[in-house]
Amino acid sequence: MAQGSTSASERARRSSAARRGAQTAATGIQGLDFILDGGLPEGQPTLLRGGPGAGKTAIALTFFCHGLEQGEPSVLATFDESPEALTRHAHALGFPLDEHLAAGRGRILDMRPDRSELVSGGEVELTALLARIGYALDALGARRLVVDAIDGMDESFAPGNSLRAELTRVFDWIRERDATTLITSGEHSGFSERFGLEDYIADCVILLRQEVRYRRMTRLLRILKRRGGGHGTNEFPFLLDHEGVFLSPITGTRLEARPSSERHTTGVDGLDAMLGGGGPYRGSAVMVSGQSGTGKTSFAAAFAAAACRAGDSVLYLSFEEATEELLRNQRSVGLDLASCIDSGRLVLEPLLAVELGWEEHLLRVMRSVQGQTPGVVVLDPASALGDPHDDRQGKEMLLRLFYMLKREGVTVLATELLPDYSDGVSNMDVSSIIDVWIKLRRDERDGRLCRLLNVVKARGLPTSDRVLEYYLSGDGVHVANGAETGGAS
Amino acid sequence: MSELVLRLYIAGRTPAAERAIRNLERIIREAYGDDASCDLEVIDILERPQLAEDERILATPVVIKKLPPPVRRVVGDLSEREKVLIGLDLKEG
Repeated sequence: MAQGSTSASERARRSSAARRGAQTAATGIQGLDFILDGGLPEGQPTLLRGGPGAGKTAIALTFFCHGLEQGEPSVLATFDESPEALTRHAHALGFPLDEHLAAGRGRILDMRPDRSELVSGGEVELTALLARIGYALDALGARRLVVDAIDGMDESFAPGNSLRAELTRVFDWIRERDATTLITSGEHSGFSERFGLEDYIADCVILLRQEVRYRRMTRLLRILKRRGGGHGTNEFPFLLDHEGVFLSPITGTRLEARPSSERHTTGVDGLDAMLGGGGPYRGSAVMVSGQSGTGKTSFAAAFAAAACRAGDSVLYLSFEEATEELLRNQRSVGLDLASCIDSGRLVLEPLLAVELGWEEHLLRVMRSVQGQTPGVVVLDPASALGDPHDDRQGKEMLLRLFYMLKREGVTVLATELLPDYSDGVSNMDVSSIIDVWIKLRRDERDGRLCRLLNVVKARGLPTSDRVLEYYLSGDGVHVANGAETGGAS
Repeated sequence: MSELVLRLYIAGRTPAAERAIRNLERIIREAYGDDASCDLEVIDILERPQLAEDERILATPVVIKKLPPPVRRVVGDLSEREKVLIGLDLKEG
């Protein structure tokens, strides 16, 4: 093949171009563009493969609409859903596609096969299809093209015909047209294997997959192939809902935030005193661990309220209590979170859906953080994010979340529920990323239940070695005077 | 039998297109004789791509019977006479 002689220099040219980041077209899905090193290879066909319901059309529509929103004329050829259904679908993802179409910036070509059509004689040519696409590209001056559900073409042709050769021609034509093309294909009777789509579309192949574990579904995306450019090799979980497609390149994270010497107050005077007269540094990770009934949420709420008073914007993610419950319960210990919400500084987001998979849960947290760019994030309790069936994976995801928050320079306070049988040992095992770790516990003493607190560690801060008693009263959390040590009696 | 209107869409003068034209003309001639008043037009969509869009054509050659109703389509080089007649819902005259 002629390709062989030029492939080495061609590859070198393409890879240096990819390093410059010049030859890509953004999909508009941030995380995906990140792992694709900028976006889809410009002027080349990319194949997006996946079974039914895997999210192919949503990703393809996002790529299409993102082009339109950037003022790039774009063409979409559909073999499966009607143009009307696609427009509705795009609306559901938040894109006013009908306006773009009405303004003539984009065009949807209806390529759905006519089922009443009869075939007589073996030889069928797909030139018409190319002529239609080419005509639309020329009319709009478009260089962004989506071909949705190309496997739908299979149905309109009898087996044993010339479809394979014709498809080769289609892809060669796309390369000649120099249009950045996203072609989706289902797994319809092994369509892409049967016709060797991955061999022809050698430039970029993206695979979508759904995984159901413990009756929870996770959507996963993986780059199988990307010629002349770097790409992440892992499987990345992604979200697909009314806010669109969200994929967080969580394994690509780097620690970038510059350390700050500015400090927050914990909102509890006695605790600030134990940390040398001030709370944790801005941008650090704080964990409050304790059994049930030790007031973890009150510590979290006190911290959040203090940060709001100091002028920070706070995102409080509550995994077990609904908004009203949380407000009422904290009011009982003298914390008025409602006024923080009214001031616009506190955003309280209950994420109670226990039916969500934990990866989906974490992705939602990341999306909320990226959407609201708060200075402080509270995760209460973060232990709810772990995977009860697989500690290791739950821990990994949690670590990534902490890394992501740190990278953004966000201060994070997480609470952790310790089971009574844990004997005070954390089973989240994320201490390597935690800067300040506060442990709470219950103790019975002289026929009375008392609550004790100590600082396990506090990076870069003076750390008290005392175990102090604290009280949850009607006017907040109070730590007993330092003279009153809980160690000996 | 005056209202038979057929449109044969081709994409360039390919061998399959030439065969389809010959086959279709022969089928009409055999079915209705030389004097059949049949309006047959061959349209090259490479020259008139908007028509391919309007008719939602995917594969060529394709013959569309516009009249009498119902509208019918047969795709391919039309080498099987019986299939073409059935597909276009035509009765032999």
